[in-house]
Amino acid sequence: MALKARRYLGPGAWSAFAALLFLLPNLGGPAFYESFLYLIFSWVALATSWSLLSGYAGYFSLGHAAFFGAGVYTTATLTTKFDVPFLWTVPIAALVAALLATAVGAVVFRLRSLRGELFALLTLAVTFILATIILNTGIDGGGGVFLSGVALPALAPTASGTIYRLGLGLAVLAVALSYVVRHSRFGMGLFAIHDDEDVAEVKGVPTFRYKLMALALSAAIAGAAGGVQAIYVGYVTVGETFAINVPLYVILMSVLGGARHWFGPAVGATLITVALFAFTSGGEALLGRAIVALALIVVVLLLPDGIVPTLLRLADRWRSPERRRPAAELPPTAVAGEPPHCAAAEKGPAILVCDDVRKSFGGIQALRGVTLSVHKGEILGLVGPNGSGKTTFINMISGHFSIDRGSIALGSDPIAGLPAHRIACLGIARTYQIPRPFNHLSVLDNVALAASFGTLLSGRSAILDEAWHWLEFTGLARHAFDLPSKLNLHERKFLELARALAARPQLLLLDEILSGLNPAEVENAITLIRAIRDRGASIIFIEHLMRAVVELSDRVAVLNEGAVIAIGTPREVMQNPEVVSVYLGKAYAS
Amino acid sequence: MPSLTLLAQSLIAGLMIGGLYGLLALGLSLSWGLLRLVNLAHFALAFLGAYLTYQLGTVLHIPPLAALLVIVPGFFVFGVALHWLFMRFQVTELASLLVTFGITVIIESMIQYFWTADFRRYDSGYGNASFHVGPLFVPTLELGACLTAAALAFATWSWLRWTYVGKALRASAEDPGMAAAFGIDHRRLSFLLSGMCAAYAGIAGTFIALISTLAPAEIWSWIGVIFAVVIIGRLGNPVGALIAGLAIGASESLTMAVVAPAWAPVVSFSVLIALLLWQPRWL
Amino acid sequence: MLLEADRLHIAYGDAPAIWDVSLQVDDGEIVAVIGPNGAGKTTLINAIAGILRIARGELRLAGANLAHLPSHLFCARGIALVPEGRRLFVRMSVEENLEIGCYPSAARKLRDHTLAHVYTLFPVLREKRNQPAGALSGGQQQMVAIGRALMACPKLLLLDEPSLGLAPSIVSQMFDIIREIHASGVAILLVEQNVVQAMDVATRAYVLEQGRIVAAGLPSVLLGETRIREAYLGV
Repeated sequence: MALKARRYLGPGAWSAFAALLFLLPNLGGPAFYESFLYLIFSWVALATSWSLLSGYAGYFSLGHAAFFGAGVYTTATLTTKFDVPFLWTVPIAALVAALLATAVGAVVFRLRSLRGELFALLTLAVTFILATIILNTGIDGGGGVFLSGVALPALAPTASGTIYRLGLGLAVLAVALSYVVRHSRFGMGLFAIHDDEDVAEVKGVPTFRYKLMALALSAAIAGAAGGVQAIYVGYVTVGETFAINVPLYVILMSVLGGARHWFGPAVGATLITVALFAFTSGGEALLGRAIVALALIVVVLLLPDGIVPTLLRLADRWRSPERRRPAAELPPTAVAGEPPHCAAAEKGPAILVCDDVRKSFGGIQALRGVTLSVHKGEILGLVGPNGSGKTTFINMISGHFSIDRGSIALGSDPIAGLPAHRIACLGIARTYQIPRPFNHLSVLDNVALAASFGTLLSGRSAILDEAWHWLEFTGLARHAFDLPSKLNLHERKFLELARALAARPQLLLLDEILSGLNPAEVENAITLIRAIRDRGASIIFIEHLMRAVVELSDRVAVLNEGAVIAIGTPREVMQNPEVVSVYLGKAYAS
Repeated sequence: MPSLTLLAQSLIAGLMIGGLYGLLALGLSLSWGLLRLVNLAHFALAFLGAYLTYQLGTVLHIPPLAALLVIVPGFFVFGVALHWLFMRFQVTELASLLVTFGITVIIESMIQYFWTADFRRYDSGYGNASFHVGPLFVPTLELGACLTAAALAFATWSWLRWTYVGKALRASAEDPGMAAAFGIDHRRLSFLLSGMCAAYAGIAGTFIALISTLAPAEIWSWIGVIFAVVIIGRLGNPVGALIAGLAIGASESLTMAVVAPAWAPVVSFSVLIALLLWQPRWL
Repeated sequence: MLLEADRLHIAYGDAPAIWDVSLQVDDGEIVAVIGPNGAGKTTLINAIAGILRIARGELRLAGANLAHLPSHLFCARGIALVPEGRRLFVRMSVEENLEIGCYPSAARKLRDHTLAHVYTLFPVLREKRNQPAGALSGGQQQMVAIGRALMACPKLLLLDEPSLGLAPSIVSQMFDIIREIHASGVAILLVEQNVVQAMDVATRAYVLEQGRIVAAGLPSVLLGETRIREAYLGV
């Protein structure tokens, strides 16, 4: 779904390249080249598969060796103990690794607090445990497993040629898969998870499922690579298979080449395998390793994106930017040509009903029984002093927090307790007080993602059209290909708005969207919010800027200490003595 | 079921190695807990210290304690330099893992270059000295490591607990902005802590040289266990690291005696996984 | 003049939060800055405390310009902050929190004396001195935060919304304590949402709305105007 701005090599060139590589064994060169290239292919497959989860979604795994090793020993066991033909064991190895990954992921990904470095260490732990189990049971038993007697199918003139072609197949599969994922909705979801998992969930991305899928795919390829490697080395031991080499080189290769690019790990794998090979003997091997390590340090510090993305960025600067869809430079207020739908006076039935909603954190009661409803087509202002529970309430409606008691229903569907991504699909969208865009996705992709996951729209062009529409509506069309970091605060707030609108919500939750804006920007925003309402959305609008609340809201609800103390038209409510005393003290109220 | 004597002996052996675990875990726990940086190079540094002790001892006949006089200040400076690198490039927690991995490989290569991959054993003359407690024997060197670990752990804990600098460090780790509002210079403190952690690695290395056989590849075999010890003992808690080390060492040893030696490596990780799944707020 | 802020511009991230704000605090005064939520009160006071950078303008304490000083040097000049939401070091004990307050060397020499004073002011803290700060109630935590700032022996005490999240009975207690502290010779700059209490205790006040000072003067005069009401209630 990501708009690939430019292609340097078309599919024809890639196919020709692959075909050339395939035909190499027929040229009859020395077996050494086939073996060396096989090694490169094997690392390409391993590094690319690692980056599916760790590069795209950002969950750094140190346990790739576990899946690789599972594959190695599946093939080793099946071929030597059960006489299964070698070629069959490769997909079985992939399956075993994928099952292992699913089991690990099902447990580990459920824990919300397990992010970052802890996940990395847990995956390392899994590797150690698996290695120990294999070592101590009949699978290996300590003596290693000899595969030299296993028959190899003749896929090429020589044995090394066969292994070469198997390796090539794996590498092509891995890279192709990486490409497909990268340009799919799934890949976009993974990228969003990488940038801000909570927001991704709220925008409709099924984060748990996607992480599990990425881990399983990643493991499957590693497992298959392990199966082929078993035949290549001919004698496998636990020590060699589960050594710290595999996970660390894989990370190095991906990070060097660019973990977020589908071809990055392949480039990194090639460079490093060649570099390591170039220093073969004695002291030089050490020097080689040290230089490779130094390269990693330099890359992490200076080129955090990796080689491929950096090169692409430099190349981009030489070319002109791709033709953009001609965006009429509409100021945000120009929703010209769109007659307002329901007039402000006509309010429909209640679309959101909250009944006695309660929530405490630890011992503190944040919400003490909030009862209110929002009618179709109305703007409900939600105000109250600091700490009164406004943001908590919004967080509960959007699914960030679970409810202790009470109910929240959208139309006739109860939504309290549903996962956030389901609530997003049911038609509730929100903005964040401090904008939280997906920083590595372009402005267009940010909005397209919300459209893709928050609505039932499918098909790339439909979703892009939708995204462009909302970018024009909020005046951000000229920034479509920029990264969010290039926008100022006003524009980022509008990006939040565009993202929320792209999900075509029935109910829009705005959290202090006016804070930090200068008076002119505030006017702009107010006009836009009215336009949104006029198109049929209902809005809950948290704000401190009282003048704006009074001007914009159809009704106002005042929260104090977790409960609603007044609800009605703005003038009524803000002159209610209890409300006045909450804000200004009893003396004022009289 | 092995005899009581065997179990007791295993327990002692376990506690002894556990002390070394605690010693090695100390520096890592402090830098991860108080500086929010994962320093994988801690292990390579420890081994560098071990090899230096070996070299000074075997070639120049400098006793280990004297070797410490060189190692401790030298490593302190290295720690400060490393931290300067992190600050200069505003390295994140995850990036620090990668950078220190690179440094580990570089140090390992250096070690292998100078001392080759062959196993080296430091013949310190203390050798296999041990003393007897009833039917059990307690190896002296290991006991020394254990006692040093305990002394350092408690000294560090007291320093963090009772001194102004220690309190400033703890406050700064919790809320650096607020700490600065009361005059605490986070930068200077972090350099101090970084140097200390590197020095601790050096001290651990000296004992590693005295107790184990050295080989460059051995660096990697400690990583898993020590990370488990650090997490179980809670980040930034010196005494916690010590107790976790002792506990893991003892569990491993008893597992070896009761079940089978080969299952020992699983122990620390199983405990870690169980703990994290049951009490995810442990960190 | 103890504190002079001259045409301050402060940005929060890249969002301009404070525009062209000038204010003064003299020895012996309690100056209040009131205004609705989102007006920028916390941004203003954090900048005066040195936690936020000042983009433009001057900040002088006893004549010396502080605008470009690194954060950790503000305290030694005589400014102490009681931040919004208390921001205690929750894993450290009450007494340790107080001790952090006298980290600067000048204050450290007077530790025992100041600590005794703080315990006299807040007897309940003496009882709970060894408990982790996170275990105390809201009101007690506010006392620790105030005590911590007092330990720095400041010339100017900055209070950011001291009544936030406190029960009404405790709020009046808090303001009595503020009067006591003022009586002991410390100048106070107080930022508050709670208009009545703030105006009751202040000698002078400013009204901040959307990052700008919209009114200034004696509390009694300001209370009579409609500006405050409009700012807070929009009507």
